[in-house]
Amino acid sequence: MRSGKLWRLARGNLVRELGALAVSAGGVALGIGCLVFFLALGAGLHGVVDEVFPVATREVEAVLPQLAIGNLLGEQKIDDDTVARLRKLPGVAAAYPKMSLRIPAVTRYNGLFFGREIHSGLEVVAIGLPAALVGQDARANFADAGPDKPIPVVVNRRLLELYNKVFAPQRGLPQLTESMLIGFQIPIELGRSWVAARTLPGSQLTTMQLVGFSERATLAGVSMPLEAVARINRQYGADAQTYSSVLLRAQSAETTSEVAAAVKRLGLEIDETERNRALQIGEAVELVTLALGILSALITALAAVNTMQAFYASVRERTREIGILRAVGATRGDVAAVVLAEAAATGLAGGIIGVGLARSVAALLDRLARTGLPDFPFKPRSFFHFEARHLAIGIAVALLAALLGAFLPARAAARLDPAKALTES
Amino acid sequence: MTAIALRGIEKRYPPREPGLPPQMLLQGLDLDVRRGEFVAVEGQSGSGKSTLLHILGGLDRDFQGEAQVLGCDLRAVKDDELAALRHTQIGFVFQSFNLLPALSALENVLLPDFFGNGVPDAQRRAREALDRVGLAGKSGARPAALSGGERQRVAIARALLARPPLLLADEPTGNLDAQTGEGVIGLFRELHQEGMTLLIVTHEARVSHSASRVLVLREGRLQSEGGAKLETE
Repeated sequence: MRSGKLWRLARGNLVRELGALAVSAGGVALGIGCLVFFLALGAGLHGVVDEVFPVATREVEAVLPQLAIGNLLGEQKIDDDTVARLRKLPGVAAAYPKMSLRIPAVTRYNGLFFGREIHSGLEVVAIGLPAALVGQDARANFADAGPDKPIPVVVNRRLLELYNKVFAPQRGLPQLTESMLIGFQIPIELGRSWVAARTLPGSQLTTMQLVGFSERATLAGVSMPLEAVARINRQYGADAQTYSSVLLRAQSAETTSEVAAAVKRLGLEIDETERNRALQIGEAVELVTLALGILSALITALAAVNTMQAFYASVRERTREIGILRAVGATRGDVAAVVLAEAAATGLAGGIIGVGLARSVAALLDRLARTGLPDFPFKPRSFFHFEARHLAIGIAVALLAALLGAFLPARAAARLDPAKALTES
Repeated sequence: MTAIALRGIEKRYPPREPGLPPQMLLQGLDLDVRRGEFVAVEGQSGSGKSTLLHILGGLDRDFQGEAQVLGCDLRAVKDDELAALRHTQIGFVFQSFNLLPALSALENVLLPDFFGNGVPDAQRRAREALDRVGLAGKSGARPAALSGGERQRVAIARALLARPPLLLADEPTGNLDAQTGEGVIGLFRELHQEGMTLLIVTHEARVSHSASRVLVLREGRLQSEGGAKLETE
């Protein structure tokens, strides 16, 4: 039986039983609407997690093991030789050593800050990064210009977001953009700590100059040129020979695990703090999405049961018509196909309505969130991310639910005794 | 050439109440119909006329005996083969018209074209069939908008679409007034003259008078009507 003819036969009955089938389609639409809505919400939240905790699939960070005996005795270290060995590991494309600022430092700002008078002091945590790692994120030269020159620093973009969404609103400070801050100078006093209440001999007041924002920069402070950090550490007698960690970039995502294994064979560990945090939050989002998806599936299953009842009733009502179809040459398969085509049309309509419903509710919630929710860090423009596959899944599940629901009625219709069906009053 | 050959057909229904014997509707029924014959089967209500028609049309396979229709052994073939036989070789006309209410008159006539390999040149044939039964102007009308006579003529047009060699009709004039019934009988006469084999179940004398042979179904068997005409020469 050709699909065009099948559809013409099914269409007549769909129009006639529009009321009952609209209820079935409505049930399917509700289930599919929930399913697509939650899938899009899950994807949207995943996007936020990825933005807050970006996980590079081609990179690993090698650090000293925290509880190694060699480390405690000072034998285990990351020096230039170690970096060279790491660079030669199979699958490694590049190695970027990082060095912590190992002396205390503070910053104190007294004066106008973009039109506001502020008096603020902070302990400075800094890490040294190679200029190659920062790359184009630095809008000015990211290199140590010497002890009497401002130290170029880059800051993580997420810090700016936290400042704008949390720090600034609480203290009545202005909202800032990257371009406003590039070139801004902040005083820094090297060799001094307010927390420890000590000052190292030769403590020195200098400045930091913001030259860019980078995802490579540390989240917990500022990032300086590696040579500047080494110079300052050396100047105050701190360790300027060993590195705190080395960022390794693998040649491809597939070789990342091999690189990680090779790093561990060298007696080092992989710092997976950020990755694990991202994975944990991602898993939590997935778990909630899964739970809500199961709830949606249950609603869709109920809709399938409702569809089954509607089609059983329809088949009962049309017993005589089914007998007519058999009398003019329809096979059992043809009869089942007609019923299933009607179910498919019901499911398709339910799926399309459900997808539309999900998009509409999501748009409404996004609008409410934009106008009703206070601004918070990483607040997305939309909490939903509708992917083509979500829509395809929604339509496919709707079709499947309707077809499964109509399967038994279709079978019952196909098995009707044509002679008895024709004598049905 | 034999169109229908029935031998020892028995049809029983389950007892109405537990403990009672099964109801024997057809008991050793024999029938031979030659191609081109116009046979009328009379009988009282409940005598098994419609059951006989359903057996002949392959709609009821739950019987004992041998049944050959247009060379097809009805008990031996598969269900799909029976469907194909009904599709291409047998036209049905029922007392209660049996049109699909959701389809127009033309679509009802085209119904056989929806199944199997369809019907060659179905659209043209359907319009011709409607024209032949005098309903060319009502092809778009739904059954609810047609009179009883018009519905029956649509049903006849549907039965003719595939140009089957055998037409089975169950009380085709039973729900029609005398004038409309005459028109339908006239149509059957025309079809017979064109060589179609007709077997019509009826209890109306005016139908039987048009038939070349009249049989009476009595006590589960077919008997020749005393005053039946011989085959039309």
